[in-house]
Amino acid sequence: MLNYIIRRSLQIPMVLFVLSLIIVGLMQLLTPQQRAAAFVKSDKQIEHLDQIIKKYHLDEGFLVQYELWAREVLRGNLGFSRISKEPVTTTIRKRLPASMELALSAFIPIVLVGVWLGTIAATHRDGILDQALRVVAIIGWSLPTFVMAIWLVAWVYGGLGWFGIGRLPNSMLIDLATGHFHRYTGMYTLDGLLNGRWDVFFQALKRLVLPATALVIVVSAGIMRVMRSSMLDELGKDYVRTARAKGLMQKAVIYKHAWRNALIPVITMAGPMLGRMIGGIVVIELIFNFPGLGEWAAKAALQLDMTTLLAFVMLIGLIMASANLLVDIAYVIVDPRIRYE
Amino acid sequence: MNPQDMKPKHEPWYRSKTFKRFRRNPLAITGTVMLIIFVVVAFLAPAITAPQLATIRSARPCVRNLGLKRGEVVQALRNPLKLTFWRAAIKPPKSCYNIPRAGYSPLPKPPSKEHPFGLTSGSYDILYGLTWGARTAFYIGFLVVGISLAIGIVIGGVSGFLGGWVDNLIMRVVDVMLAFPRLVFVMIVSVIFGSGLTQVMLALAVVGWVGYARFFRGDILKTKAQDFVDAARALGSSPTRIFFKHVVPNSIGTLLILASMDVGSIVLTAAGLSFLGLGAPVGYADWGQMISFARGYILGTAQGTPFDFWYVWIFPSVVLVLFGLAWNLLGDAVRDALDPKS
Repeated sequence: MLNYIIRRSLQIPMVLFVLSLIIVGLMQLLTPQQRAAAFVKSDKQIEHLDQIIKKYHLDEGFLVQYELWAREVLRGNLGFSRISKEPVTTTIRKRLPASMELALSAFIPIVLVGVWLGTIAATHRDGILDQALRVVAIIGWSLPTFVMAIWLVAWVYGGLGWFGIGRLPNSMLIDLATGHFHRYTGMYTLDGLLNGRWDVFFQALKRLVLPATALVIVVSAGIMRVMRSSMLDELGKDYVRTARAKGLMQKAVIYKHAWRNALIPVITMAGPMLGRMIGGIVVIELIFNFPGLGEWAAKAALQLDMTTLLAFVMLIGLIMASANLLVDIAYVIVDPRIRYE
Repeated sequence: MNPQDMKPKHEPWYRSKTFKRFRRNPLAITGTVMLIIFVVVAFLAPAITAPQLATIRSARPCVRNLGLKRGEVVQALRNPLKLTFWRAAIKPPKSCYNIPRAGYSPLPKPPSKEHPFGLTSGSYDILYGLTWGARTAFYIGFLVVGISLAIGIVIGGVSGFLGGWVDNLIMRVVDVMLAFPRLVFVMIVSVIFGSGLTQVMLALAVVGWVGYARFFRGDILKTKAQDFVDAARALGSSPTRIFFKHVVPNSIGTLLILASMDVGSIVLTAAGLSFLGLGAPVGYADWGQMISFARGYILGTAQGTPFDFWYVWIFPSVVLVLFGLAWNLLGDAVRDALDPKS
């Protein structure tokens, strides 16, 4: 097992390597002048494009350029972000907690809603409830994240005046910056609790509700479909028939016997689900004015800030590869039938 | 004996069990009807928006390129007996894809008789943007799926045919690309390529081929293991002949059907990019852009009610969602019909 984990973790750098090859390779499709634009930090430099091309060896071949880039990255220098006007690593440290807070607050509801609705659909197979949930899932799957986010902002925040957008009200941000507020995690809900500031905790939580809801609606549909089909699989198996034959209640059959086994395939969904969530977070942060990594990347895309985007890609690659590793390990722990050599 | 004879015999598609399962699914019928409506609207876009073309000044280049005078626009575009009707519906001049502006006011205007769906900020006609945007949507969807399919079939085919280290290398790249969030990937590639409709479509294709390549390769490996391929090999057919005459024709059908169902999700992704500001130039008839026009007006005015400008975001977003829904209903039913177990 330990052997497997070690060998599997060694794949993460491999994944990042392939990913960086793909991105840097794609960049070779541009002319040196176009690529130089990514290094331009101010208007003055535009006149000196040739110098920039020389300085960063942009007219050289793929291998030379890749080596130059990789050497800097391995030293921990991801470059300077034009968008946030500071080194990329500094911005990531500042903004990562915000995105993590949003992702974590959406994660549990996503799993709960998906598993719960999937179970209902499976136990009411082909009934009205199943058909209705099927339509709901397809609608959820068809809703682009940005449309869902706009609807929530317009109807719930704009129309009803509930919850809020942004991370905290401006007055509170100023208050926190001047007062004695220790940032333990960078997540305002947790920090609020740790500092004993209930007002901060509630304000932060209130502003997480809408973006998290948008994520839940868009992402949980996929989990629901997987849960439904894996539950149906289990319900058709012999041990379930045996459990029914010995006179167990429907509830006991479903939740004590079939449920546990049906949950295993749902774990595999974690990877694709995380991917959809990250894509969603980029758009959602932009619409909800939530200063996380996604908003930063979206703005970088609009300003053609390639340095920022490359760093963002590598970070997402790292997150996705680690998540897939965790999924594989969780799989072995949950299902003892699976043995890894 | 010809190895082809050893393959299972196929009945015509409309009598197959798969098609019957599809036909009996009410969701499939709903999706199909919705799509037909979209096709009709897209086809009739010039006829539907003829009054706007006739009255709005900035639509003149389009009218001129159609070879019409201002007074005869509505009549010419709405009469199927005239040549212009068909020319405008089948191959309209490029200038017609620019949404005409009824003015330059930054404030949206509510639906009126001349502008049935209202005007966005910048006075772009919403009805015009939506109907002509349907044409753009079909264009983007089919072209991107087509290009991705072509790339996916070639790369997946090479991978499945050659096997060995080539296969291994290609599949590692595919794994990495599939694990990466699609929207983020397309966003980055389209930044590399630059903004514009063609660039965004290229970016979507560069990211989109991966799934097809993997599916096609898997299917090829499955087909390769079947008896009739062994028979062909025993008869002395060369590997190339086996691959092109026997393996590919047997693998490609399902891929084509499944891929065509991706048109909806491609259009949704393209709209997302367009909303972010990476996409067609400002004023081009495109749904994502119609929604991004609405961005500053979702919350209404400061002093008025919050739903003051409901029309700027409700119409485009509902149209976009219905389009995605139609394709997903269809796709869901097709997958169900192909694989009734799931």
